[in-house]
Amino acid sequence: MNTRTVTIVGFVVVIAALAALEVLGRRKIGRIPTLGEWLGYVMRPRTGRALIMAGWLWLGWHYFAR
Amino acid sequence: MITAKADPDPAVAAKAGRHPADAQLPAGARSAQSAVVGAAVVGYAWLLGGTAPFSTKALLGVLLPGALLGVIAFARPPERIAPPEAVDVAGLSYWVICIALLFEWEASAVRGSSPPSHPSLTDLINPLIAPHPVKTAAIVVWLLAGRALVKR
Repeated sequence: MNTRTVTIVGFVVVIAALAALEVLGRRKIGRIPTLGEWLGYVMRPRTGRALIMAGWLWLGWHYFAR
Repeated sequence: MITAKADPDPAVAAKAGRHPADAQLPAGARSAQSAVVGAAVVGYAWLLGGTAPFSTKALLGVLLPGALLGVIAFARPPERIAPPEAVDVAGLSYWVICIALLFEWEASAVRGSSPPSHPSLTDLINPLIAPHPVKTAAIVVWLLAGRALVKR
């Protein structure tokens, strides 16, 4: 297995773990919050709201403007 | 015959994530409004997906919905989905660990200028979203995510 494959597998494993956390959160297993729940919690204050929105805007710029 | 009915209670509309002002719209008008907005979003994504990378059009195409959602989020916010009073620290830590791992894995690739032997996530995703229809779909997902965030 070359390093490129290892890198890709690494990304796949982490992204799969994130998806698994969402599934566990929705099934209310182990008190894991869903993505929406913890984002909502972080976005309670205006600063958190602004930071998350800025992150969303950065994602759009990163993938669609460059 | 379909009868158009307005929401009897603005609180019902608010619970559904609609702005209180929209609560007065009849159900049929709301459907038409949704169809028009949906078509506009897909059309916009198609146009943005066709712009050249690093061009002013592409930059403005991203900044415009950003500014629009920013105004909506802070000046005319819709009824927000009630956030939890607290989240379990241990449960949240799993998310933090995974996201930190993702950033670290990405940073290690970017630090080495993303060589083919250790490519960054960006360099892996960009070829996947290069076809115009795929890029359009990705932009629609991004716009919908922004809309969902405004409601949080």
